[in-house]
Amino acid sequence: MAWQRAASLESIPENGVLGVEIAGTPVALYRLKDEVYATHGVCTHALALLAEGFVEDGKIECPLHQGVFDIRSGKALCAPLTRDLQTFAVKVEGGEVFVALDQSAHEAGEKRPEESTLENAAATGGVVVIGAGQAAAAAIIAMREAGFGGTIDLIGDEPHPPYERPPLSKEMLSGQGGGPLYRLTEEDATRQKVKLHLGIRAAAVDSAAQTVRLDDGTTLSYGALLLTTGGRARRLTVPGTDLPNVLHLRTIEDAAAIDRAFGNASDVCIIGGGFIGLELASAASARGLAVTLLEREAEIMSRLLPASLGRVFRKLAQQHQVDLRLNADVRAIVERGRRLGIDAGGEIIEADLVLVGIGLEPELDLAQTAGCQCAGGIVVDADGRTSVPRIWAAGDCALHHIESGNRALRLESWHNAEEQGDAAGRSIAGVTATARKAPWFWTDQFSLNIQMLGLVGAGDLVAHSGVPGAAPGAVYRTIDRNSGRLTGVVAFSKTKAIREARAELEKEGPFDLAAAGAQLLNAISASEEINLEVGDMNANPPLSITTRYVWPKEGLRRIPDWVYTDQTIYEREIERIFQGRTWNYVALECEVPNPGDYIRSNVGPTPVVVSRAEDGTIHVFENRCAHRAAEFCRELSGNAKEFVCPYHQWSYDLKGNLAGVPFRRGVDGKGGMPKDFHNADHGLRRLNVTTHRGVVFASYRPDMETLQEYLGPEILAEFEATFDGRKPRLLGHYRHTLPGNWKLYHENLKDPYHATLLHTFLVSFGLLVAGNKSLMLADPTGRHGVMASAKSDKSVSSESKNEMRAYREGMELADPRLMNFIEEFDSPWSVTMATIWPNLIIQREMNTLGVRQIVPTGPHEFIMKWTMFGFEGDDEEMTRHRLRQGNLMGPAGFLGLEDNEAIKFVQDGMQHVPNGNHLVELDPAVAMGTSDTLISEAAIRGMYQHWRQEMGL
Amino acid sequence: MTRPLSTPVVADARLEAVLLRHEIETFNTAYAVTLDEQRLMDWVELFTDDALYVVLSRENFDRGLPVGLIYCENKGMIRDRAFALRETAMFAPRYLRHMIANLSVFEEASDGTITARANYVVLQVLFDRPDATLHQVGTYYDKFRRTADGLRLAERRCVYDNLLVPNALCIPV
Ligand SMILES: Cc1cc2nc3c(=O)[nH]c(=O)nc-3n(C[C@H](O)[C@H](O)[C@H](O)COP(=O)(O)OP(=O)(O)OC[C@H]3O[C@@H](n4cnc5c(N)ncnc54)[C@H](O)[C@@H]3O)c2cc1C
Ligand code: FES
Ligand SMILES: [Fe+2]
Repeated sequence: MAWQRAASLESIPENGVLGVEIAGTPVALYRLKDEVYATHGVCTHALALLAEGFVEDGKIECPLHQGVFDIRSGKALCAPLTRDLQTFAVKVEGGEVFVALDQSAHEAGEKRPEESTLENAAATGGVVVIGAGQAAAAAIIAMREAGFGGTIDLIGDEPHPPYERPPLSKEMLSGQGGGPLYRLTEEDATRQKVKLHLGIRAAAVDSAAQTVRLDDGTTLSYGALLLTTGGRARRLTVPGTDLPNVLHLRTIEDAAAIDRAFGNASDVCIIGGGFIGLELASAASARGLAVTLLEREAEIMSRLLPASLGRVFRKLAQQHQVDLRLNADVRAIVERGRRLGIDAGGEIIEADLVLVGIGLEPELDLAQTAGCQCAGGIVVDADGRTSVPRIWAAGDCALHHIESGNRALRLESWHNAEEQGDAAGRSIAGVTATARKAPWFWTDQFSLNIQMLGLVGAGDLVAHSGVPGAAPGAVYRTIDRNSGRLTGVVAFSKTKAIREARAELEKEGPFDLAAAGAQLLNAISASEEINLEVGDMNANPPLSITTRYVWPKEGLRRIPDWVYTDQTIYEREIERIFQGRTWNYVALECEVPNPGDYIRSNVGPTPVVVSRAEDGTIHVFENRCAHRAAEFCRELSGNAKEFVCPYHQWSYDLKGNLAGVPFRRGVDGKGGMPKDFHNADHGLRRLNVTTHRGVVFASYRPDMETLQEYLGPEILAEFEATFDGRKPRLLGHYRHTLPGNWKLYHENLKDPYHATLLHTFLVSFGLLVAGNKSLMLADPTGRHGVMASAKSDKSVSSESKNEMRAYREGMELADPRLMNFIEEFDSPWSVTMATIWPNLIIQREMNTLGVRQIVPTGPHEFIMKWTMFGFEGDDEEMTRHRLRQGNLMGPAGFLGLEDNEAIKFVQDGMQHVPNGNHLVELDPAVAMGTSDTLISEAAIRGMYQHWRQEMGL
Repeated sequence: MTRPLSTPVVADARLEAVLLRHEIETFNTAYAVTLDEQRLMDWVELFTDDALYVVLSRENFDRGLPVGLIYCENKGMIRDRAFALRETAMFAPRYLRHMIANLSVFEEASDGTITARANYVVLQVLFDRPDATLHQVGTYYDKFRRTADGLRLAERRCVYDNLLVPNALCIPV
C-alpha cells in the first residue's frame, strides 16, 4: 500500500470537503466528526469537482447536477448518478492525512442483495422489458436491488445497450469525439443476469396470453411486462424533410451524423426552439457555425415555460449571435445548389445543414395494442402500473402521475426516466416506491449550466432574483397564479439556488417573494419587445418589416403597390436579390475580347468593372477604390494594363488585386501604412464569375450553383437555342431610362396578354396573333421565363380580328424585308423573350438579337442597357438585316417604345393614385408558372411566389 | 419705290457659299417645323428615294458600332416608320421643339452631293408635366442632293450625345 501525504488534518473543514491532487489524481477529502474519508475528486456523472459540492449527513452532493454519493462507500444514491464513486483508504498520523490511491476505503466487496422473499408481481414468470433505454436500465437495477431473482429479458431495437441521451446534444457534438455514456453496459447486464435482445423490435403484445412477439419471430412470455419504449424525434410534415443534410437527433448514430455534418458546414438552420434546438444551437455556435433558429410560436419554449422566461433563454441565444426568428412558418425545405433552402413563411433561409428539433413523439403502438389506456402517453400510477394488469410503463412514453394544471403530462427528462424506471422496477419486484423527488431537469447552453426544479407551468408568474438576464447567478422562480405557491426554480449556473429550492418547494402556502429578494417580472408585450430590440440602434424605431408590409389576403392574384413604389422594399431587393443568391448578367465576352479589355457594368445598381486578365480569364469587381471609395474607372470601355485610382494613385491589377500604394512606407521613415498592412487584404471587392456560350454572369455569393443549375433544363435549352455555339459579335448598344419599377419589365415579358393588345404593329403584320402557336414557359422556381411564339403566315380569322382591336385591315410595308424571318436557329419558335432572373432579358425577335440588362436606380426608375449582337460569320447582308429588324425593338422600336410607355403609365398610376393593388387573375386554371395560352398571368404569379420567398414577405 | 433687284450671274464663290448655306438652313428650319408639328408623312418627303436615315448614340458612333435607335436604309423604310408611328404606335401625347444650329457646310462633290453638319437639340413637353426637358442633343451628319423638288436629304445620321434615352424616342429627330 502506497501512502501519500494528502493534506493537513486542519485544512479539511469540519463536516466539509477539501479538494487535493495526488499524483495527478483529483481527490476529495472529507471530515465527518472525527473520521476522514477520501474519494475520487470528480463526479462520475459529468466533469464536476466534488470539492465544490455540499456535505450533508455523510453524503456529498455534486455541485453540478445534485447527484448524491455516500461519502463512506462512494455509493451513488440518486439521479442523475449511475455509477459509484471510487473511494480511497485514508490514515491520519500526527495531524497529517495520508491517502492510498491503490486501495479502496473498505475491503468489504459489494454486498449482493439477498433474493427477495417477498411475493412479487413477477413471481408467476419472468420480466420482459421492451425498449432498452434509460428508464429500462433504471428499472432493471431497481428490480435487482429489491431482490428480484427471476429472469429479465431486455428488448431494444437499437444495437446498443441502454445509454444516456443528454450527452448526444452536448459532449458528443463538440467535434472531440466523445463516446456514448452507457447506463447499463453489456457486462452490467451479464452481472445482473439480464438477457439482451439488441437490434430487435418487439412487434406485438398479447396481454391476454401474456406474450410478446419479437420481429425475429421469437415469442417470450412474461409475468410482468415493462414498457419503456421512449419515443421518436418528431418529423416535419413539409416537403423536403427527407433531403440529405436534414437531420434529427435522438440516437448515437444521429449525434455522430450531426457531429460530422458540423465539420463540413459553415452555417446551420435549426428548426424548433425547445431545449434540444437550443442545445444544438449552442453546440453549433461553439463549433464556429452561423446559426439561424426558427421557432413556430411567438416565443421559444412556450409550451413549457412562461413567455417571460422563454425570453430569457432566447436572449441568451441571441447574445451568442444566434439569428432567432419567431413565428416562423416552415413550409418546405428545398435544395439550393449544394445548400438547402428553408421556406419559412415566404422567406427562403439558406444553410448547409438543417437540424430539426421539434419534439418527441412517444412510442405508444405496443401499449395501445396491449389495451393500455393512453392519453398522449401511457397512463400510469405512482408505481408505474398501466391500466392493464401485469403491464408497467416508465420514461418518455409514460405520463407523469401528477397532474399539473389539470393536464396530464409527460416529463421528457433524464430524472423522470430514472425515477419512473426505479418506481416501476421496485413495484415489479413487489416493493413500494420510495418518496419521489421534485422533477428536475438540466440543460447546458452557451457554457451555462441551467437547472430547473419543480413543475413549471406555462401560465405561471415569474419572479427574478440575483444577476439579471441569463448570466451566471440569475435565478427565476415560477409561481402559481391562483395559490401563489412556488412551482419551480430555474437557475443559471447557480446550483446553490436549486439546492435551496428543494426546501422552498416543500413549503405550503404562498411563496414569500420579498424574503427571497425576488421581484415579479412583467409579462412583456410583443410591441414593447420590438421597441426594446430596435431601440438600441435607432432612436425612432420602425415597426418590423413584416408588420409593415402585408401581402393582400387574396394571395398571388393581387400585387400590392408597395412592391413597386417603396424605398425600403427596393433596398431589401438590392441586398436579397441582386446581391443575394442570383447570377447577374454583366457582359458579353465579345465586349472584352482581348487581355486588358474592360467595360463598366452593374450588378443591381452597383457599378462594377468587367475585365479580361492577361491569362484570358474574366473578372468582375466593384468600381470603388479600396482606399477612399472613389469610383475609379470612368470610361465605358477600354483597354488597360492596370487600373489606377486617380485620387491617390492606388493601383489594381486586372483581377482587382491591390498592386501598389504610393508612399506605403512613408517618407524618411515617417508616415506610411501600418506595418501589418498587406496589399492582399485590400483589393477591390471581387465577385464570383461564370460564363456560358459567351455570356458573362457575376454573383455576390461565393457558393453559387452552376449557371446550368440556376437556369434549370428548360430555360437552359432556350438560352442555348439563342446562344447556339456561334460566337456573338457586338453590333452596339441602346441605353435608356425607364420611369417604372424594374420588375414591371420582367412582368411585361411574362405577360403575353398585352402583346396582342398593345402592339398593333405586331398583330397587323401577323407576327403575333392570339391564335398563333405560342408558349409562356416558367421555370419551377417561377423566377425565369420564356415567352415564345411562332410566326404565322395564315391570315387572321375574322373572329380573332374582332377581338383584337389592334388589327388593322390593309396595312402593308413599303419595305417588307423588316418582317423577313431567316431561319437560323434550331427552335420551333421565331420569337423568344427569355427573362433570366434578376437582370437579364434575352431577345430573339426573329433575327434581331439582343440582351437587355436591368440596372435599377430606385423604386421608380431603372436603366436598361441593350447589347445588340450578331454572330461571327454573318455576312454584310445578314448584319444589315439584323439592323433593319432592330427597328422593332429598343427605345425607338415599334414595339419597344410602346412597352416603355406602358410601363411608365403603370408607375404613374401607382404614384398618383397610391396604395392600391394590381389584379393578376387571368388563367385561374394555372395557379402559377407555365401556361400554353397567351391569355394568362400565371407566369407573373410564379415570379411573385419566388420574389416573396426571397424577400421574406 | 424700291429699286428693282438686279439678277446678275453669280460668279463669286463666296456668295455662292452664302446662298447654299442659306438654302440648307432654310431646309433645316422646314425639317424642324415638320417634326415639331409632327407631320410625319411630310417629313418623309424631305428624303431622297435611296436615303439613309439613322439615329445612333455617340457611344456606338465613336466605336464604329452600327446599331441605331432608328435604322432606315431607304425612303420606303422611312415611310414605314412614319406610317407605323402614325397608325399603330401607342405613346403619350407631347410637344416637341427641334432646334438646329451651328451649321457647317462642306464642299459640294462632283456628283452634286453636299456634305454638311449641324448640331441639334430636341426639347420635349409631356402634357402632364410642367416643364420642358432636354430630350436629345446631338449632331446631324448630312448629305444633301438637289432634286426636281429642291434640296433633299440623301443621308442624315443623327448622333446623340446623351448616354441614356429618356424612356423612349417616339418622334424622329
Ligand atoms: C439529444 C437529447 C438530449 C437530452 N438532454 C437532456 C438533458 O440535458 N436533461 C434531461 O433531463 N433530459 C435530457 N434528455 C431527455 C432524456 O434523455 C430522455 O428523457 C430519456 O432518454 C428518456 O428515457 P426512456 O428510457 O424513457 O426513453 P429512451 O431513452 O428513448 O429509450 C427507449 C428505447 O426503446 C426503444 N424502442 C422503442 N420501441 C421499441 C420496440 N417496439 N421494440 C424494441 N425497442 C423499442 C427505442 O429505440 C429506445 O432505444 C435529452 C434527450 C435527447 C434525445
Ligand atoms: S481614393 Fe482611391 S487612391 Fe485614394
Ligand atoms: Fe411588349
